[in-house]
Amino acid sequence: MSFGRRFRRLIGLPTRSGPAIDRDLEDEVAFHLEMRVRDLQRIGRSESEARQQAASEFGDASRLKQTLGRMDRAAQRDRRIARWFADFTHDVRFAFRQILRSPLFAAVSILTVAIGIGATTSIMSAVRGIILRPLPFEEPERLLRIYSRHERLGPTAVSVADFADLRAQVASFDGVAAWYESTTNLSGEGKPERLEAARVTDNWFNLLGVRPQSGRTFLDGEEQHGAPRRAILSDAFWRRRFGGDPNIVGRTLRLDGNPVEVVGIVDGERAFPANVELWMTTRFAPEEFTNAQRGARWLRVVGRLKPGVTVEQANDDVARVAKLLVEKDPRHNTGYTAFGRPLQESIIGNYRRPLYVLLGAVGLVMLVVCANVAGLMVARTAARDTEIAVRAAMGAGRGRIVRQLVTEALVLAIAGGALGFGLGVLGTSLLVRFAPPDIPRLADVGIDRMIFTFSFGLALMTGLVFGLAPALQASRHDVRSRLQAESRGAAGRFGGTRLRRVLVVSELAVAIVLLVCAGLLLRSFAKLQRVDPGFRPGGLTAFTVTLPESRYGRLVDQRQFLDRTLEGLRAIPGVENAAASFGLPLTDARFQLTFTIDGKDGDANNEPRGQIRVASPGYFESMGIPLVKGRTFTPQDRWDSPQVIVVSEELARRFFPKGDAIGHRLDTGWGREGRKLGGDIVGIVGDVKQFGLSIDAPPAYYAVADQWPIDEPTFVVRGTTNTVALAGGIHDLVQQLDTELPIFDLTTGETLVAASLAQPRFYLMVIAAFATAALLLSAIGVYGIIAYTVRQRTREIGVRMALGASAAQIVRMVVGEGLTLAAFGLALGVMAAMGLAGQLTELLFDVPERDWITFVSVTAVLVVSAVAACVLPARSAARLGPQEALRGE
Amino acid sequence: MADRKDGESNLSLLQGTLDLLILQALAWGQMHGYGISRLIRERTNEVLLVEDAALYQALHRLERKGSIEAEWGVSDNNRRAKYYSLTTSGRRVLRREAENWRRYAGAISAVLDPA
Repeated sequence: MSFGRRFRRLIGLPTRSGPAIDRDLEDEVAFHLEMRVRDLQRIGRSESEARQQAASEFGDASRLKQTLGRMDRAAQRDRRIARWFADFTHDVRFAFRQILRSPLFAAVSILTVAIGIGATTSIMSAVRGIILRPLPFEEPERLLRIYSRHERLGPTAVSVADFADLRAQVASFDGVAAWYESTTNLSGEGKPERLEAARVTDNWFNLLGVRPQSGRTFLDGEEQHGAPRRAILSDAFWRRRFGGDPNIVGRTLRLDGNPVEVVGIVDGERAFPANVELWMTTRFAPEEFTNAQRGARWLRVVGRLKPGVTVEQANDDVARVAKLLVEKDPRHNTGYTAFGRPLQESIIGNYRRPLYVLLGAVGLVMLVVCANVAGLMVARTAARDTEIAVRAAMGAGRGRIVRQLVTEALVLAIAGGALGFGLGVLGTSLLVRFAPPDIPRLADVGIDRMIFTFSFGLALMTGLVFGLAPALQASRHDVRSRLQAESRGAAGRFGGTRLRRVLVVSELAVAIVLLVCAGLLLRSFAKLQRVDPGFRPGGLTAFTVTLPESRYGRLVDQRQFLDRTLEGLRAIPGVENAAASFGLPLTDARFQLTFTIDGKDGDANNEPRGQIRVASPGYFESMGIPLVKGRTFTPQDRWDSPQVIVVSEELARRFFPKGDAIGHRLDTGWGREGRKLGGDIVGIVGDVKQFGLSIDAPPAYYAVADQWPIDEPTFVVRGTTNTVALAGGIHDLVQQLDTELPIFDLTTGETLVAASLAQPRFYLMVIAAFATAALLLSAIGVYGIIAYTVRQRTREIGVRMALGASAAQIVRMVVGEGLTLAAFGLALGVMAAMGLAGQLTELLFDVPERDWITFVSVTAVLVVSAVAACVLPARSAARLGPQEALRGE
Repeated sequence: MADRKDGESNLSLLQGTLDLLILQALAWGQMHGYGISRLIRERTNEVLLVEDAALYQALHRLERKGSIEAEWGVSDNNRRAKYYSLTTSGRRVLRREAENWRRYAGAISAVLDPA
């Protein structure tokens, strides 16, 4: 028997409950026995004889009844399932017919759902890739990032000596490794190139659990000073630079002028740190491990917990060792302790909040989508009143009708979900492409099975939500009143307008919340844009070169290179001024050094400290950093003249509160070739935002480039022509000076500022897009309901006009209705926004979360949109003549 | 109705043949369980002894399989009775099984009574 045929037969039968089944069996058996007894009596048996024979012929009746009861119940179950499926296929077919009958409604609903699902899928895939998905290492939950922490200044990296002691003395870790990021120049065959590299301890890859694609990872001992130089390449770099040469392992590259043997290739996306092109070992010199260097905290440390050890236990252990380190070197380590936190946490910590804000925002958009489609469904269901009433009259139960309507909603939702998933895939790739590159783990963002399941589940849930409300509404009214209404020609009088109003008001409220978010971010962004970075970005070009130790190891070589380059730069046509520096503003360059004032040791707990920068004469002028007091560097501040220092206003204010900074002497412990960095303060310059526009300018001090030469100078050029025009001249010049030196980070002042704005701009754009979508959707909702009521009230409008109401009065009446909706939405939305705005605090700069300007502007935007949504219906109402309005019914 | 003949054993039913008997009985029209039981008894001259419990089990099994369907009706003596009838698919099963049975029986008798 074919499946379908069996279905049709099964569903033709009434279903019965358990007790009814037992009763039926009882009756059937009793009937049989009775008939048999009667027949036996007819041929002459006595009644008792007949009964006995009938019973013996029958066999064990009670066991039979049990067996049959089980069998019949199972049959009932089959039947119910079959019926459900049959109803379902019927409903789906019917739903398709209904949907095809009103393609506009279908298109609008599907598109709305698709936008919602698409946006949610994109954001969810970002959240999943960045926050939820575990790091691609072996048992990543056992990896801890270990920091030093100053009791006042907070967490910092770790000094080399402290790292070595930690590694030797912690008990709760299987291993401790360290890394720092650096760059290296590749020369030899092909164009010279500057590579992003990481220097790691030799246990690095084993600790993470990263296996090489080919070759090997580092061996024990390869981190020792003087060990042969080895490199491991990322496969992306190997493909890009060497075309995937299968014989790369064993080859020797020229890095910073040194021969380095390639020993392996690893998958860069599954290794750490991300975006690195090659890994080399640390090879720390013995003097790095001395107490003198303990103040220099720049090494980043990762440990793998022993199995079963908790983070708390590990933290106790690390703190214990840190205490020993204080005793070992109280001068540098007083006030410091150490702690660990999960590596994943340390990577994504700062991005969790913004991403959750985006997720929340997209959730709100999804709510608006649901409400909007629910509104459409209610309206449509109301228009189908008659059809539904007829079906009810013909015996369809309430549940049956609800199910039919929900099925229609589900079909729409799944269609929207499919389209939305496509949009989500697109959106995800756009998100990855346009996200500020400093957001971590962007490579891990993508569509996977979990995201697919999520989208599909979301579509189903949406369908249920927006299908159920109108369905219940529609099935509630009794049949007769509806059919009577139909005969009076007033289809849809019961059209669920109240429910639709509620839906529209909630849409408006949600739109307000999103508008407030967008508004606050916009205000914050505008303020950020107006922040004075402390230098003039316009007309500024900057680029960096790295001087390899093999040829520029002596300071005199570095000084010479600076002189010759600056001379050449100033000779390029269009260049007004040029200077060399180390540590460009608005980059992530953090070089903090403690210092003493006039040789006096300060409070060990609160040593004076500031960001150290190096600048050549002309730097402040080129950058447009104003001189506040004293003088800047001059060409007379040479290697052999007295050392001089220029400090920032903030440093002067903090450490020379009497305003007498000039003339005092600063000294640091940092030295090279027998000379310590320091000097007499000769000038005070304006503060510069070093780390970002939203971060206060730190105290900073500047040393002279010639007195404190640098091996990775950044040249800043102020010109009258633009960067593109200058770039050619700059390349030629550097080529001419040294054919092996690559130029990198060629950038402009504007780009520096823009990069610093990239993240707030990104969040603003996304939230603004969501807010716009929500506003549009709710405006459509308002339009829908106003247009509907105008149609419904045609007769009333006609009467009013006949009684002398002017067109203006009619318009006012219609628009008034829209504004009433807006007012309710506004009240609700503003309350909600007040409550939720606190979630944004971390993303705001210099804007209070209850910024009244934002709230007022948002109110204006909403009122304008509500009025705009009423324009068309109001016009059509006003154009009605009294006669046609009255005839219209 | 003749009395049971002593000395001749009643044949217990071969597996599967009860279904065939029921289907054939219903081929003549709608019938309740007792009717089928009586029909089998009369037609086989009580040679085939069918325990009624087994009959009902077969009926319900066939109903679940979809070969027969049931509805409640009123018997000629005005009692509520469950009437079974053949479905289209049951008719097809009957045709097929009857054909199988004839071939089977023919084969056996050809062996037992060589011509």
